[in-house]
Amino acid sequence: MRKTVFIAGVVVAGVISLGGIAPKSKSFAASAQEKTASIAEVKIDNFSFGPVAITVPVGTTVTWTNRDDIPHTVVSTEKVFKSKVLDTDEKFTFTFTKAGEYPYFCSIHPKMTGKVVVQ
Amino acid sequence: MISEAALNPFDVRSALLARHAQHVVLIHFPIALFIAGVVFDFLAQKANWRALANAAYFNIFGAAISALPVVATGLLAWQLQLEGQKLKGLLLMHLVLGCASLTLIWIVWALHARTRGKSRSGLPVFRLAVEALAVTIVGLTAHIGGFLSGVNGPN
Repeated sequence: MRKTVFIAGVVVAGVISLGGIAPKSKSFAASAQEKTASIAEVKIDNFSFGPVAITVPVGTTVTWTNRDDIPHTVVSTEKVFKSKVLDTDEKFTFTFTKAGEYPYFCSIHPKMTGKVVVQ
Repeated sequence: MISEAALNPFDVRSALLARHAQHVVLIHFPIALFIAGVVFDFLAQKANWRALANAAYFNIFGAAISALPVVATGLLAWQLQLEGQKLKGLLLMHLVLGCASLTLIWIVWALHARTRGKSRSGLPVFRLAVEALAVTIVGLTAHIGGFLSGVNGPN
């Protein structure tokens, strides 16, 4: 009898503790999802943008970071945005407020191209 | 941005309209002419060979002339591609060394031109030191330029 009560107590405690954790983890997951929805990163390395194309929701701020030893720029083909020359570890950010496709390139090395798709 | 024509290295229109592509192409002429000219001058000095001395003069003259459009297209690239923004790091170093290279090439040519048509003994020996310095600066400028242009990067 005492053993049954003990097991029941453990089960109840477990259910309660899970109940307490579950909503928290859900809210953490939701906030993480919101974060990924509003911030995106593109690395510049080895004369290329990575990822070459990214798809983000409207309102997302995209950050380009130059991880290369060479200076690069981030210039929108349609003149929507344009960075200054980015030396190693320098960043450029732009917030996309309208849906559409935004191709871009490096004006020092025009063979380097990328695209941001805003949905 | 990059059309198929622009990817064709033999397409004249794309070569002329690519704003700073000319700089990368033209730079090879003064580099090759100047280094060849200096080598000829060193050999002419050692062997006292008149024909080599003439070859040295014309190579250095060619380098001095062909360096002008190189500097012009480099400055245009800065103004057009980067909209004249303040340079720093490798780009600034390339600009400064490029200007120093042009100055040294013209000094070397002037030293040769002064004694042109006269006896070769009129050429100052210290010019060889200036030529060696100029080749070093030209080489350094070219090295940084090649690094910047991404010729060693992935295709």
